[in-house]
Amino acid sequence: MSDLTPGDPNAPALPEAEGPAVGRDEWVARHGERRLVREGRLGEMEARLRAVPWWALLILFLAAASLMPAVESSGYVRRVGFDTVIFMLLALGLNVVVGWGGLLDLGYIAFFGVGAYAYAIFDSDKFGIHLPTIVAIPAITALGAVVGLLVGLPSRRLSGDYLAIVTLFFLELFETVATNGDQIFGHNITGGANGIIDADPLSFFGHSLAVQHQGIFAVSYYYVALAIFALVFVATRFANLSRIGRSWRSLREDPLAAEVMGMPINWLKLTAFATGAAVAALTGTIETSLTGSVFPLSFSPTVLITIYAMVILGGSGSQAGVVLGAILVNVLLQLLQNPDQARVLFYLLIVVGVLTAFRLSRKLAVVVAETVVLGFVIHAVVRAIHPSWATEGHGGFSGVLAHWVVIPQQLTPWVGQVAYGLMIASVLGITLLRGWWRVVVLPPVIYLSAFVWENVMIPNPGPTRYIVLGVLLVVLMIARPNGLLGERRVEIV
Amino acid sequence: MPTFLQLTLDALTLGSVYALVALGYSLVYGVLKLLNFAHGDVFMVGSFIGYGALQALGGAADPVVPVWLLLVVVTASAMAGCAVLGVAIERFAYRPLRNAPRIAPLISALGVSFFLANSMQLLFGAQQRDYQSYLLSGGSLYFRGFDIDTVHVPLLRIITILSAFVMMVALWFLVNKTRTGKAMRATSYDGEAAAMMGINVDHVIVFTFVLGSALAGAAGVMFALRVPTFAAVGFTIGLKGFTAAVIGGIGSIPGAMVGGLLLGAAESYTAGYWTTAWSDLVVFTILILFMIFRPQGLLGRADIRKV
Amino acid sequence: MPALLELKQVSLAFGGLQVVSDLDLHVDEGEIVSVIGPNGAGKTTLFNLITGIYEPDEGDITLDGSSIVGLPPHQITRRGIARTFQTLRLFLNLTVRENVMSAAFGHTHAGLFRAMLRTPGMRREERQIRALAEERLAFFGDRLMGYRWDQPAYSLSYANRRRLEIARATATNPRILLLDEPAAGMNPAETHEIAELIGKLRTDGGYTILVIEHDMHVVEGISDRVVALDHGVKIAEGSFGEVATDPLVVEAYLGLGTADTK
Repeated sequence: MSDLTPGDPNAPALPEAEGPAVGRDEWVARHGERRLVREGRLGEMEARLRAVPWWALLILFLAAASLMPAVESSGYVRRVGFDTVIFMLLALGLNVVVGWGGLLDLGYIAFFGVGAYAYAIFDSDKFGIHLPTIVAIPAITALGAVVGLLVGLPSRRLSGDYLAIVTLFFLELFETVATNGDQIFGHNITGGANGIIDADPLSFFGHSLAVQHQGIFAVSYYYVALAIFALVFVATRFANLSRIGRSWRSLREDPLAAEVMGMPINWLKLTAFATGAAVAALTGTIETSLTGSVFPLSFSPTVLITIYAMVILGGSGSQAGVVLGAILVNVLLQLLQNPDQARVLFYLLIVVGVLTAFRLSRKLAVVVAETVVLGFVIHAVVRAIHPSWATEGHGGFSGVLAHWVVIPQQLTPWVGQVAYGLMIASVLGITLLRGWWRVVVLPPVIYLSAFVWENVMIPNPGPTRYIVLGVLLVVLMIARPNGLLGERRVEIV
Repeated sequence: MPTFLQLTLDALTLGSVYALVALGYSLVYGVLKLLNFAHGDVFMVGSFIGYGALQALGGAADPVVPVWLLLVVVTASAMAGCAVLGVAIERFAYRPLRNAPRIAPLISALGVSFFLANSMQLLFGAQQRDYQSYLLSGGSLYFRGFDIDTVHVPLLRIITILSAFVMMVALWFLVNKTRTGKAMRATSYDGEAAAMMGINVDHVIVFTFVLGSALAGAAGVMFALRVPTFAAVGFTIGLKGFTAAVIGGIGSIPGAMVGGLLLGAAESYTAGYWTTAWSDLVVFTILILFMIFRPQGLLGRADIRKV
Repeated sequence: MPALLELKQVSLAFGGLQVVSDLDLHVDEGEIVSVIGPNGAGKTTLFNLITGIYEPDEGDITLDGSSIVGLPPHQITRRGIARTFQTLRLFLNLTVRENVMSAAFGHTHAGLFRAMLRTPGMRREERQIRALAEERLAFFGDRLMGYRWDQPAYSLSYANRRRLEIARATATNPRILLLDEPAAGMNPAETHEIAELIGKLRTDGGYTILVIEHDMHVVEGISDRVVALDHGVKIAEGSFGEVATDPLVVEAYLGLGTADTK
């Protein structure tokens, strides 16, 4: 890690009188402590930031988030804001299970679905039941916890692997039940593949909150979600700072030692599991109250992976981290929807990547020059052979780009397929190369990637978004398993 | 209403597919103690490679080679392609995490699974690929067979079941009777000790991925001979194969076979006598019962807790 | 008055291997008893049996007269038995203080809802747990004090990790402490310190102690009574002098006369 400096010999030594005589032990501790501190202005900022109490940061964050609708009047952006808060809530819940409990819960999204379906069943015209929101929200949250307990129960004696299987299967089963729930012993409970479409909006003391206001997204839902986010954040934070939270983390570290130190680990695992499930179910009710509908496919493994990517990217175990992760990943997914933004994002990533890899060096110059020249040459050659194989753009960033990267009017499918396969192989291959070899090979790989991105991936934002998330998970696990804000972790050796 | 014999035939075919997939999970779990979530997607890629080979060779309608050779080539190419894919996954997604916390390779595996499924969808779309469209027009392959009472038994089913069985027996011999197999078993008992005894653990792991992935490739072809394949099929089949491995006793080769057949039977008979809609529920119930009453699986060993 | 901890005819086998056979052992209130024996003699297995990680095939284990066989480990701990591990098992990513605080789980009560609401009772209890942890850490002089409290356990040296394990075990408020090789891997000065500390745990802490130890100087210095095990069988019991000169013990350690023991 280049941003952490080893112990600075010029740093003022700690006064010897404080504490015992310096032995190896003390040296290790102090050395370790110093290593974790960044140098310079950045380090100063980090130290100051760490000194601010968490609740102050939370209030600041909430204040900033509350101002968003005032600054941004677009219904689309406000709606994305609401979705982001939903994701933040889901990430907070998953963080309890995965980050603190250390349990790989792959059925998490099913509990989100349980909450959503429960709300749709108990607050819609489907069965003519209309529970008041004040009753529905706590009841469904409790229901989520109970279902969580039931699912966790059979795997109570088992290690994380088996829990993963049971929960993943539960997710699959949830989809099956939701899809076939229109014929349970002749009764139509879930509406089958058509879902339930007329769920009530939230209502408080007889006033229901309009979903739309003058044709655009009503901001009141954003504030309700934000308020619930604040509640969940504080409640789970308090839980973590208690004997229950300590025991969750103890059992994550070493279940056997935790048990021998007097902790009923099976029960504790279940409580962590059920807490996560309750948060997910609560989130499901809020989501459904806005959208007014539930469908089986909304609770697929795709959503699960998305939440995992958020938690891992932000730093599992850190609440601030998973919230940041939720924001970043959701923004990323939104950006990838739009071709122009996806384009900018890609080249920005390349530039930042190349800059961090080579800094300002001769290698950097070679890579940049080679990449630029290579592109124009290839473009010119291809265009000379057949003009329709390489279109030319008009003005702007994408216009310039279109003179560099080859964008055929009509791409033959097999060319795209082969190029994609080659790209994957060459990107993997380049990680095995070192030194100048890497410098020489990098530009063609960049060019190939640009070609694939422009011609294969940008036109298909659906799969592309999730390919990016999948790659993100693998790369994060290898390069930075503690995420952006996660604490440094060690494993027993 | 299909007859018992037809259902049994279906159960055996489906069971062999599950068993082959379960073997891949079991082998990898044996040496790495890793649930390889990407295995189901390797299976899916295998079925696509087979489809590609079929397409390239013109199918049975326009045969370049005799039909039996066509089947062999299709299966072999799927196995080879998957073996390469498996090795690449191990090299780039799991090996860097060999000494990481246990949850890290699991999450990496999820990422790979997601990557593979969506890559296939990106390149080939979400629509189904049906081998029959290439094999049917030649006419014979799906219909040739013999009759028992009034039930027609297609030869293709028999070939599928037999070849799966042959592969499993071959695997059992490989693991139990050869030097490489001994190295695999040693690594699965204690990788560190095996390394100290001069076993190249990296080679063993790569070899395990080659074996497991090749079997998944073969299973992919067998599956796609029965029903059409599509990019998202890996998740479901992976989950079933996984469950089969756990029911049979993860890490055990005969266990994976038994578990696969059991699952195939549960699914086929449920579909035949009750409804296809709830066969997942039946399988899940079986899994839960095993988790409660026999978590080590049918043929697995109960681990002694080490302190 | 019955012994505080008593094992009667306890046997355990793994597969065909008899790990402990017909073992009788008792520890009286206030005693320090050492268990010695060559590697593989079944000493750690004995601890695992007492703490409920393994269940004996035969025999009975009683604490203060009532049987603890079949109880899950956390219940046994709550009844007053705490242990350390030969291979350290700290919660490495928790802070030093949290490690000790976590062990107070068994005798504290605030549940999840009270924690989420942060009720006054829960806050009071939390302060007590904190005070308890700091007191237990203070037992080790300045070794685990001050700035160390908020450091993660992985930043500690090996010797301090051993001390922290003992501190954590005492935070369960045990009556009897099981120490599994507390001096393993320590240098002579640290070993000496540990021996003193074990004495102090009895006099100041009031714990009864059962200890597995390989270092004979430590065993000699601290033990009221020594029990020697070999192949899961008790081969000698008595004062250090008696056991150390027992021919069976000498044979077990040196392998004289028997070709099959190592």
